Amino acid sequence: MDESELIKGIQQGDHRSFQTLVDTYQRKVVNTCLVIVHNTADAEDLAQDVFLEIFRTAGNFRGEARLSTWLYRIATNRSLNHIRNKKRKGFFQSLEETFTGGKNRNSEISENGDDQPDHRITDRQRSDLLHRAIDHLPEKQRVAFTLNKYEELPYQQIAEIMEISLASVESLIHRAKKNLQEQLYECYRKKCV
Amino acid sequence: MKCKTLHKDLIFYLDNELPIEKRKEIERHLEMCADCRNFYSFLQAEMQIIGKEKNPEPSPFFFTRLSARIDERPDFRQQSLWNRVAQPAFFSLILIAGIYGGLRFGSHASSGAIHQTSSSSVQLLNDFESEPIESFLLDQ
Ligand SMILES: [Zn+2]
Repeated sequence: MDESELIKGIQQGDHRSFQTLVDTYQRKVVNTCLVIVHNTADAEDLAQDVFLEIFRTAGNFRGEARLSTWLYRIATNRSLNHIRNKKRKGFFQSLEETFTGGKNRNSEISENGDDQPDHRITDRQRSDLLHRAIDHLPEKQRVAFTLNKYEELPYQQIAEIMEISLASVESLIHRAKKNLQEQLYECYRKKCV
Repeated sequence: MKCKTLHKDLIFYLDNELPIEKRKEIERHLEMCADCRNFYSFLQAEMQIIGKEKNPEPSPFFFTRLSARIDERPDFRQQSLWNRVAQPAFFSLILIAGIYGGLRFGSHASSGAIHQTSSSSVQLLNDFESEPIESFLLDQ
């Protein structure tokens, strides 16, 4: 079943077309959300919201862009909104903790290597460090970098998803890599893992 | 090449995005500088994490949960039905009623000759008569 048939089926409320869409894109959509939110349960909930939105608004799809471009765009926008809301909540929570004397959580890359000299770094620690470094990238750099690195999308499709020029995508990914390298070097220098 | 210069390009070296001379320069430096070699291994291991995290196993109950969410929100189905069928039908009905009303009013106004003061609006309404109704529907 090709894309236009799939969309036509969904627009007509055909359950099987919708299931085919979900089966085809579930992994991609969950992964896109997961890379931004770093939590499997949240990523799956968001991915479900993405498919619900497609189900609800399939009638508006005009076929100018690829279906996957539409899915990726909704997935990144919803994930970014999710962490923006979480940050806002976190801000008020930390304010509350400041006033109630609770612990103030800090997501900055911390130095904790001194008390653990000469230890082997586990994959889990490496992954946490990488996520924190990616989270510190400005939003557009983060989206362009993760779509390219995790989803292996070509620059042209990233440009379509983000609705920016190809040159902007190149520049965003270049700056993202430079930023990541700097952050990882700082961590390496200070033995943060 | 200084260590600092190398640290700026190492990630591009890893991604094979540097010209051959620059690559060679970096390789020569890495051979003789243990600290940069360590950082190179560190950076490489970090970037390899991406490959390990790619494509997580999909949840087996994903679609079941999704279907349940659609079923518990009947407005989703109704909305799609409304968009597909009811909405165009509703607007077509309004359009036809409007055209019909206009034609009736137009013919009344021109034949009745009760008040000829607003002749320009009568002229405008009479124009409708000369155009077939189908063309309005085709434009939609
Ligand atoms: Zn060096």
